[in-house]
Amino acid sequence: MLNLFLLLFAGYIAGLLLPLCCPAKPRIQNILAHGSAGLASGAGILLGVTGLFAPEPWTASVQSTLPFLTFAIRLDPLAALFVLTISLVGLAASIYALGYVTEFYGRASIAVLGSLFNGFLLSMTLVVIADNGFFFLIVWELMSLLSYFLVVTEHGKAEVRYAGLFYLIMTHVGTAFIILAFLIFFQGGGSFSFEAFRHPEQPLSEGMRTLVFLMVLIGFGTKAGIVPLHVWLPYAHPAAPSHISALMSGVMIKTAIYALVRVYFDFLGGQFPWWWGFVVLVIGAVSALLGVMYALMEHDLKSLLAYHSVENIGIILLGIGAGMIFQTFGLTEFAALGLLAGLYHTINHAMFKALLFLGAGSLLYATHTRNMEEYGGLLRRMPWTGVFFLIGAVSISALPPTNGFVSEWLVFQSLFLSFHLPTVLLKLMLPLAAAMLALTSVLALTCFAKAFGISFLALPRSSHARQAEEVPITMRIAMGMLAVVCVLLGLAPMVVVPMLDRVVAPFAGLSIEGKVLALDGWALAPVNVEFSSLSPMALALLLIALSALGLLLAVAFGGLVKQRYYKTWGCGINLTARMEYTATGFVQPIKRVFGAIYQPTVKLETELLKESRYFAKRRHFEFHIEPVFQKYLYDPVVAFFIGMAERLRVIQGGSLHLYLAYIFVTLIVLLLFAV
Amino acid sequence: MQISSHIGSQLVDLCSALLLLTCFAIVAQRRLSACVDLFALQSAFLVLTAALVAFLTGNHHIYIAAGLTGLIKVIIIPRVLKKVIERLNVKRELVMNVNVPAGLLICGALVMLAFFITQPIIPLGFLLTRDSLAIALAIVLIGFFTMIARQKAVSQLVGFLVMENGLFLGATAATYGMPLIVELGVFFDVLIAVLIAGIYTNRLQDAFDSVDTSHLTVLKE
Repeated sequence: MLNLFLLLFAGYIAGLLLPLCCPAKPRIQNILAHGSAGLASGAGILLGVTGLFAPEPWTASVQSTLPFLTFAIRLDPLAALFVLTISLVGLAASIYALGYVTEFYGRASIAVLGSLFNGFLLSMTLVVIADNGFFFLIVWELMSLLSYFLVVTEHGKAEVRYAGLFYLIMTHVGTAFIILAFLIFFQGGGSFSFEAFRHPEQPLSEGMRTLVFLMVLIGFGTKAGIVPLHVWLPYAHPAAPSHISALMSGVMIKTAIYALVRVYFDFLGGQFPWWWGFVVLVIGAVSALLGVMYALMEHDLKSLLAYHSVENIGIILLGIGAGMIFQTFGLTEFAALGLLAGLYHTINHAMFKALLFLGAGSLLYATHTRNMEEYGGLLRRMPWTGVFFLIGAVSISALPPTNGFVSEWLVFQSLFLSFHLPTVLLKLMLPLAAAMLALTSVLALTCFAKAFGISFLALPRSSHARQAEEVPITMRIAMGMLAVVCVLLGLAPMVVVPMLDRVVAPFAGLSIEGKVLALDGWALAPVNVEFSSLSPMALALLLIALSALGLLLAVAFGGLVKQRYYKTWGCGINLTARMEYTATGFVQPIKRVFGAIYQPTVKLETELLKESRYFAKRRHFEFHIEPVFQKYLYDPVVAFFIGMAERLRVIQGGSLHLYLAYIFVTLIVLLLFAV
Repeated sequence: MQISSHIGSQLVDLCSALLLLTCFAIVAQRRLSACVDLFALQSAFLVLTAALVAFLTGNHHIYIAAGLTGLIKVIIIPRVLKKVIERLNVKRELVMNVNVPAGLLICGALVMLAFFITQPIIPLGFLLTRDSLAIALAIVLIGFFTMIARQKAVSQLVGFLVMENGLFLGATAATYGMPLIVELGVFFDVLIAVLIAGIYTNRLQDAFDSVDTSHLTVLKE
């Protein structure tokens, strides 16, 4: 295992240094950087799989000269699962980047971009295997900073710089909370090693544990993008190059989920009052619903996907929150199920979100715009990208037979099991969360019907879309790889569930593999076959069989139909792109129904012909939704700080002598105090 | 032994006092090149003090520090500053934030303050250089005051260097000098600081046709 780790480390370091050392053409730098990243993430996949099935966690450490800091790593099944996820997405992103970064030749330094990419992957891998609090914080910060530099790759644009700044501030606020939480752990154990966090010399008091819970939730929640700390996602993810967005949205925000599970179930030993789980559950439900609702109103494809990350983090937290509640009441089987469902969705989301972002990147590569209103008719021009994007869209909309369906179904099941709980409040609230999840799923389906339909179907809406061509082969391979993984994860839960069970078992204290899998693994039956069961494989076969049956019936009754290609009938006029549904029009009903949440402002100006008021010369339509969180939560805070700064400006004379005098007076006063 | 160490202590005190005296001279001097000369003289006294301490205590690494001080502060830095003054053609400090008599009075007060502050500490020490600590602090404070009182960048630089001399004396007085590696680092820092400040002064001259740092207020929004 050490060899695999060293191979991974060496690969990323090589990818980090080689492109910078070689001042050659961008083409060579591209191949060096992303080739090494691909090799290293291949090693990472092997490392993850071996770690997952190793009987004992693998550890290694190097002592540093700084006190408290040990470069310790520990690969237990939880860490191995995330290493596997990161490496899989990393591999796809590396292959994709080979083709995608040709877009940046001459516009940005490929050496810097590729080298940051390697550093980013390495830091993410180290985050999930770090076994020392100090070391964890270092790599965590490294991950945040490297991703910041990647976000601002196109720093020539003002909105990119704004997005980067926004991200940087949010992530640092989050880190501050994490540091506080770790310092509380440090007080109890006297050491930064995770082992001391797990088994402190003096157990933390109840108040301190609560404080840790909240700090960790805010700190990692900022990175994960829970409502209301999600505001940076729709800025930062679209601004980054698309393979970076895939990594950020697919796996970086998942490191926060990893850390939450690590702290709650591992460090705090899975013992907590019921309201902790309840808070996580409520945050999950709200994030899921609001995430998808804001996604619906986005017409920038990448912002739309970023909002969907908020939604999916919410779904993951629903599973984990349900698990936490069950854990409190000693229902360990259900707790394990909830956690398993959450982690299953974590992997699935990593795969299909990465796939969708790569798809969005391909559209951007082909059309040079992110605005959906300028797409249209791309399925004919980019058939491969279209099919892969469709698989991703089906997965994220949780339709069988893909992976999103299986994990969301498991989350539902764990929420439905709430009737075993002793408290009436929770008995009511968990099904309510399930109802919100149901609404979320439906809205997600609507959203992707819009995203796919508007982008790929009908006629091109702009010259960009008309001139689009299929993307290079490397990009298609990367997307195809993830698409296959998405389908496999959905069809083969009998492979995935035992893996996840190994992750969950140490925390829950028992293995539920035998209970979840029924019929030799061909069906899923969470806890009780009579209550509910599902076989994704059978469902897929049924789907194929039914389609075949439909076709058969059609042929049997209608006979073989002669194919004829002709234009769609348009009542005698030629069809143009202006007759199509726009993305805005598509979501109009939803905007009306949820007007209270969106608070839309619509402005319609019509300039009429002088001769007749029945004919409009020009129409101007504007539509905005209220950015509620920014307006009522962030703006006041920012205004407060700017106000304070304005007041402090009085002492900023701008004179060097004045500043020196300030220091001098402070020095004298302090010296006098010291006496 | 008792007597020789007493005499040694007296000698160190004498040298420190000479250092302090040159400080007052710098505060009173308006001509820039003379300021630089006085600084070189002060540094020479510092070398003497350090060498004396090295001789009396047998800490040979202080010799190296003393030698470096002699090289950098007595020879190199004054030359650099002279060149800057020559190039800029600024001979005198015409306008001061605090005029000379008032400045001297304030410096006197600062010396008193330094002795007052260090009074409770000095009896605790057991080194023969312990009395120099008060003087070292006084030199630091006067150097700082010079930076505030003068308007020309060059004299501010001299103030900064005087502060640095005070710190060096303080380190020698309190602990017989810092570890050699720290000393080397400090020397390097000082050298770089002077180079940067020299460049900064030149740029200031180019931008404002003057090395008066109070012109920098216009940079404020």
